[in-house]
Amino acid sequence: EEEEEEGSEKILPQRVINLNRDLTTLVTNIQTAADAKESLRRAELEEARRLRLERLEKDLKSSQEIFEEITRGWSLSTQRAIPQELHEALNNQQQLCDALIEDKKKLINDLQQELKVGDDRYVKDLRKQTEELDLMMERMEDQIKTLIKAYREELTQIERVYTQESEILLTKDKIEWDQHMKGLWEEELKRLTQRTVKVEEYENIIHNLMIETWRKHSIIQTKQHASFQVLERESKQLRIAKFTKTHTRHEIAESKFSLTNIKTRLSRMKKQMANLSDKYKSQRDEFTKKSRYLSEDYKRKIKQYERIQKQLKHFAVADDRKFEEMWLMIDAEVKQLVERALDIDSQICKQHLGVAWERPVMGFMELCGPIQPQGVPQLLHTGQDSQDSQRMMDPSVRKEIEAEGSAVQSESGAKEEEEKLPMETLKGVMELLCDKAGFLMEDKLLKLLIPLGKEEQTVVKLGSLLSYIGIEEEDIPKLAAFLLKYRHQQREQTEDVCDGSGESNNKAEEEETEPTTHLTSDLDPYDVVPALKSFLRQHMRSRESSSRQHHSVYEAARDSSEDEAYWQSMGSVICEDQLRLWDTAENKLRQYQAVLAEISALVPETESLQQQNRELRMLLQQTLKVSTDLEM
Amino acid sequence: MSRSPDPPEAADPRQLRRIIAEDAHWFLNTVPSLSNLCLQSIVNHFEERPIWENLSPVHKDFVQERLSTSMPLHVTANLIHDGVYWKRCCEKWGGIRDLTHYGNSWKRMFFEKHMENMIELFIPDVTEPKTFVEMVPLCKDYIKRLNISQLLPPVTEPQKEEEEYGSELVIENEDGPSMDHFDFNIMLDKLTNLEEFHVVYRVKQCGLNFECKMFEMTHRDCESLAKAVKSCKTLKILRLNLSHMEDTKCRLLVKYLLDHPSLRELDLSHNLIGDKGARAIGKLLNRSSLETLNLCDNNIGGPGAKALAHALSMNSTLLSLNLRLNRLRDEGGQAIGKALLNNNTLLLLHLGANEVTWPSAIALSKVLVQRSTLKSLNLSCNNLGVDGGKALEEAMSNNSSLTECDIRLTEVEEQSASFVNQVVWTNQSLEQRRHARESKTKKTSTAVY
Repeated sequence: EEEEEEGSEKILPQRVINLNRDLTTLVTNIQTAADAKESLRRAELEEARRLRLERLEKDLKSSQEIFEEITRGWSLSTQRAIPQELHEALNNQQQLCDALIEDKKKLINDLQQELKVGDDRYVKDLRKQTEELDLMMERMEDQIKTLIKAYREELTQIERVYTQESEILLTKDKIEWDQHMKGLWEEELKRLTQRTVKVEEYENIIHNLMIETWRKHSIIQTKQHASFQVLERESKQLRIAKFTKTHTRHEIAESKFSLTNIKTRLSRMKKQMANLSDKYKSQRDEFTKKSRYLSEDYKRKIKQYERIQKQLKHFAVADDRKFEEMWLMIDAEVKQLVERALDIDSQICKQHLGVAWERPVMGFMELCGPIQPQGVPQLLHTGQDSQDSQRMMDPSVRKEIEAEGSAVQSESGAKEEEEKLPMETLKGVMELLCDKAGFLMEDKLLKLLIPLGKEEQTVVKLGSLLSYIGIEEEDIPKLAAFLLKYRHQQREQTEDVCDGSGESNNKAEEEETEPTTHLTSDLDPYDVVPALKSFLRQHMRSRESSSRQHHSVYEAARDSSEDEAYWQSMGSVICEDQLRLWDTAENKLRQYQAVLAEISALVPETESLQQQNRELRMLLQQTLKVSTDLEM
Repeated sequence: MSRSPDPPEAADPRQLRRIIAEDAHWFLNTVPSLSNLCLQSIVNHFEERPIWENLSPVHKDFVQERLSTSMPLHVTANLIHDGVYWKRCCEKWGGIRDLTHYGNSWKRMFFEKHMENMIELFIPDVTEPKTFVEMVPLCKDYIKRLNISQLLPPVTEPQKEEEEYGSELVIENEDGPSMDHFDFNIMLDKLTNLEEFHVVYRVKQCGLNFECKMFEMTHRDCESLAKAVKSCKTLKILRLNLSHMEDTKCRLLVKYLLDHPSLRELDLSHNLIGDKGARAIGKLLNRSSLETLNLCDNNIGGPGAKALAHALSMNSTLLSLNLRLNRLRDEGGQAIGKALLNNNTLLLLHLGANEVTWPSAIALSKVLVQRSTLKSLNLSCNNLGVDGGKALEEAMSNNSSLTECDIRLTEVEEQSASFVNQVVWTNQSLEQRRHARESKTKKTSTAVY
C-alpha cells in the first residue's frame, strides 16, 4: 500500500516535473548558449591573437630585413662619393624607409581597425547579452507563471481527488454506520420483546406458585388446626386430671399468690390515687380559673343588661310621649270630624226634616289626652307601694319592713357593701346558714355529703340550699348583709324594749368596732330562720317589683280595648236610625231635585211662549190700529 | 468646517451645515491614559534617558512603534531588541529586502545594510576610519553577512597630475598609496559573528569617469584583504568576484587563506586566474576544509587543471567544483577524470565551455561507471562529438547515481543524449523515492524515540 501511495505521489507530479525540467532547460539554454558563444569568442580571440602575433612576427622579420637593407644601404652610401650616386642612394634609402614606414603604418591601421572592430563587437556583444538577459528574465517569469499555474492545477486536482475520496469514505462510513445502527436497533427490539415475553411467563409462574403455596398453606393450616384441637382436648383432659391432683397444693399457693396479688393491687391503687389526686388538683385549678373568668364575664353581662334596661326606659318614656302627642292630634281631628258630622246631622234634621235635633250625650268629648290604664302608674313606684303596704301593716311589723325597705333602698348600695364585706365573714355566714337551715335539705344529700370535707360540704349544702330557697349566688352577699343588719335591729329592738337607754349607742359602737369574725357567735342561731324568712319575703317582693317595672311599659301599649271602645264611641256618634233617616232623606231630596230640574228645563219654553204671545199681541194691536185708522 | 462669522457667507447652505460627522479630521478626543502619556514622555526623552528593560512587553511594543528612527545608534543598538523599531529603521533606509535572507531579523537587516552602506560609500583618505572604529562594537553582534557591491577608489586628481608626467611614472607608482581601496583590516577581525563576506572591487555607475583601474584590486588591497580574512576566524563563505585577480594576487590570497579554520566556500569567479593561481588553489584545497570551490570564468589551462586534479585525487572534503568557462582542454579534462577515480566526496562537477573533447568524455564515463558519488555533471558547450556521446551513453547505462547531466551543445548524437537524459530522469525519481523513504524512516525513528 505504501509503495502504491508513493507511486501515486510520484506519478501525480510527473507532469509538473517534466514541465519544471523543460522550462529550466529553456532558461539555462540561453546561458549555455552564451557560454558556448563566449568560449567560441575566446577561441576566436586566441586565434586572432595568434594570427596577429604571426603577422607581427612576419612584419618584424620583413621590417628587420628592410632595416638591414637600409643599414646596409647606409654603409654603401658612405662608400659612394659621387653626389649623384649618393643622391640616388639617398633616394633609395628614402624609398626604403618610406616603405618601412608605410608598412608600419599599414600594420598600425590594421591593428586599429581590428581594435575598432573589437570595440564594435564588444558593444554588440554587450547589447546581445543584455537582450539575452532580458530574454532569460522573461523566460524565468514565464516559467514562474506556468509553474504556478501548473501547481495550482495540481493542487486543485489533488484537492478534488481528496474531497472525492473523503466523500466516498464518508458515504461508505455512513452507510456502514446506518447498517450497524439498524442491526443494533433490531437486536435491541428483539431482546426487548423477548424480555417482555419472559416477564409475562415469570409472572404467570409466580402467580401459579403463589396460588399453590397458598393452597398448601391452607391445607397445612387446617391440618394443624385439627391436630391442635386434638392436642388441646388432650391437654384439657390432662389438666383436669392434674387439677384434681394438685388442687390442695394449689390452695396454699393460691393464698400466697392472692396476698401478693393484693399487695400489688394496693400499690397500683395508690398509684392511681396519686394520679387521680394530681388530676383533681389540676382540674380544680382549671375550674377556679374558669369560674373566675365566668364571674368576670357575668359581671360584664350584668352591666350590659343594666345599660339595655336604661335604654329601654328611655325608649319607653319617649314612646309614651309620642303616643300621647299622636293621640291628642288624632283625637282632635276625630272630634272635629264628630262635630262636623253632628253639625251636618243637625242641619239635616232641622232644615230638611224639620225635626228637632238633640245633641247626643258625649262624655268622651270632654276627655283630653290618652286614656291612662288604671293602677299601673301606681305600681311604677315601689316606694309608694311600700308606703301603702306600710300603712296596711301592723306597727310591729312596720318597723321590720321599714328596715326591709331601707335594706331594699340600700340595694343600690348593696353592691358597694358586697365589696366591703370580707370573704371570711361571708364564709361564716354561709356556714351558719348551712347549719341552721339544714332542715331544708334532704337527708340523702346529707348522707352523701358526710365523707366530704367540711368546706366542700358547706359548698354543696349552700348550693342546694340556695337552689331550694330560690336565691341566686349573687344575692349571697346581700343575704349576709341583711342577716347582719337584722341581728342589729333585733338587738336594738330588744334593747329598746328592755332598756331604751343610751347603752344602745355604745353597743352599736361596739358592734361597729367589733370585728366581723365574732359574727357567728354573736348571731343568735334562732334568729336565723326568721331573718331568712323576712329576707326571702323582701327579696321576692323586690324581684317582682323589678320584673313588673320591666313589663309596665308594654302593658300601657297593650291596653287598646278601651281605646277601641273610645274610638268606636266616636265613630258611633251618629246612630243607626239617624243613618237610615239620612238615607231616606237623601232619596227624597234626589226626587225633589229631579222635579226641579224638569221645571228648570221648562222655564225657557214658557219664556219663549210668553215672547210669542207678546209679539202676537203687538201684531194684533197694530192690525187693530190700522183697521181703526182705515176705518177712520 | 469652520463657520465664518460673516452673515452673507453664513447664508451659504454649505457654510451653515454643522454636522460634525462630515469633518474627516474630527474625532472624539478621549483623554489618553496615564500609562500612554508616560510612555510618550519616555519616547520623547529616550536619548537622554533610555528606559527600556523595566517596561512590560506591551509597553515595549508601544515604545518601539513611536521611537524616532534618527536616534543615535549607540543608544539603541544594544538596548532595543529585534522588532518593529528596526523595521521602521529599515524602511527609513529604503528598499526592504527579503527578511528570510536575514534570518527573520529586522535588526540584522538594518545593521548589515548600515555597514554595507558605510563601506560602499567609504572614500580612502577622505572618510575618517574612526567612524568604523566607533561603529563596529555596536553592530558586531548582529552582522552575519557583508555583501559589498562596490568599493570606491581614492580621489583621483593627484593621480592625473602624476599621469601628466609620463607613462613611465605610472608604472613606477604601481604600489603608490593612491589606488588602494578600503582596508578591511580595521574591522573584519572584530565582527565576531561574520559568516559571509562578498567583495567586488569595482565602482557602480561610474559613467563617463570610467577608468580601467577602478575595476581592479591592487596588490596592497589583496594583501590587506587576505590578512583581514585570515583574522576573521568565523568566516565561512568568501566571495571575491569581478576583481581582476591575477595569478600573483591569487597566490598572495591563497597564502593567507591556508589553514583557515572555518572557511567552507570560496568563490573567485570572473577573475583572471591562470595556471599558477590554479596551482596555488590546488594547494589550498588540501590545506583547508573547503567544500565548495567556484572558479568559473577564469583563465585556467591544462597545467592548472592538472594541479587541481592532483589535489582533488587526495581531497576528501570538496563537494562542489565549478570550472565553467576555463581553458582546460583535454589535458585538464582527462586529468580531472583520472583524479575522480580516486575521489569519494565530489558531488558536483561543472566543466562547461572548456574545449573538452571526446577523450575527456571517455575518462569521465569511466568515473561514472566505477564511482557512484558524482550526482551532477555538466559538460555543456564542449565538442564531445559522437564518440564522447556514445561513451557517456554506455557509462550511463551502468550508472544509477547521476541525477543531473548537462550535455547540451556538445554535438552528441540525439539518440545518446536522449538516452542519457532518460537515465538521469529515472535516477532522479529513484533518488526522490529514496529521499522520501529516508525522511519517512527518520520520522518513524523520531516517533519511536
